[in-house]
Amino acid sequence: MKQDRREFLRKAGIGALAGIGALAGLNPLSALEKTDMSALSGKPVPGRTRWGMLIDTRSCTDGCRQCVTACHRAHNVPDFGDRKNEVKWIWKSRYEQAFPTSGTQFQKPELLGREVLTLCNHCAEPPCTRACPTQATFKRRDGIVAMDYHRCIGCRFCMAACPYGSRSFNWLDPRPAISEYNREFPTRERGVVEKCNFCSERLARGLQPACVESCPGKAITFGDLNDPGSTIRRMLSEQETMQRKPELGTLPSVFYII
Amino acid sequence: MKPSGVLMITGGIVLVMILAVSMFSPGGGAETADRAAVAERDSTACIASKEYMRSHHMKLLDQWRHDAVREGDRIHETPDGRTFEKSLNTCLSCHSQNRFFCVMCHQYANVEPTCWNCHLLPTETKE
Repeated sequence: MKQDRREFLRKAGIGALAGIGALAGLNPLSALEKTDMSALSGKPVPGRTRWGMLIDTRSCTDGCRQCVTACHRAHNVPDFGDRKNEVKWIWKSRYEQAFPTSGTQFQKPELLGREVLTLCNHCAEPPCTRACPTQATFKRRDGIVAMDYHRCIGCRFCMAACPYGSRSFNWLDPRPAISEYNREFPTRERGVVEKCNFCSERLARGLQPACVESCPGKAITFGDLNDPGSTIRRMLSEQETMQRKPELGTLPSVFYII
Repeated sequence: MKPSGVLMITGGIVLVMILAVSMFSPGGGAETADRAAVAERDSTACIASKEYMRSHHMKLLDQWRHDAVREGDRIHETPDGRTFEKSLNTCLSCHSQNRFFCVMCHQYANVEPTCWNCHLLPTETKE
């Protein structure tokens, strides 16, 4: 059979293509798997966990600080006893401080005086993670805005970016200000920013967050916002709820019943 | 070119494209939250041999830190099928029997790891 160089190269090329194609054919499942676009955008979508919280301010008793104590003890949060160095993961604000952009004119006086439990909102669009130059704060796949204290350089850009004041800076060595260590959880060191982690260490063990567990009035509901059958989703669909500063577009994962 | 040749080449190109697409299919990224409950804490045997741990514990801990903090993957599986939580506390659940376990060797080797700036040394907590 007569065969010139061009003909030989063409046939060899076809052979190679067919060989590679056959390899793809051996693995047909991955070859035609539907691309999950959410993997590219990182935005919250159904089908993946997005932890969220619903706080019923009506059953949250004024003056009660059990959740705050439980959280701060569980996470070795220091108590310096003064406002300047204050470190807080969860705390209580007045209504108009928690919801400064909602109308307060002629509001119920009881509501204006009410204490609202506030913490990191674990926003779906967190401004803090964009500000962080080292990616020390980042969004986990389960929706939790996490802190990697190993990477934090203490620049405090995240504190400036957070519209909710959810972040605290360790101006001093926190260790002397911790009354009793929880051996299961590390402390922080001077010069890092810290905040609520939605008890990711407890979630990994299948437990509810410390604040939820310690609340005597059962005012806090925790669950997966992406699961249409979860208790939190049912409660959200049944009653009117609020988010803090919704106009900023941060899409907080913490909701409030007023 | 003969029509059959065109067909063959087109077929080859399509097959290569399928292969290329399959390479970019997203990985599962399965959550490990529910598996953490079964992770062991106390064990009579270490996760790896003494020699390996002596020379490589810092690399292993660095990997654990990355997996647990950044990926949320908290389960370590040993080649013989045992599971452990990727946590410094897993190590300390045995190795804090000797409260100076870490310190002794680090002092001898004159290394000052920053772990203990935040993580609690067994010597720092009252038992």
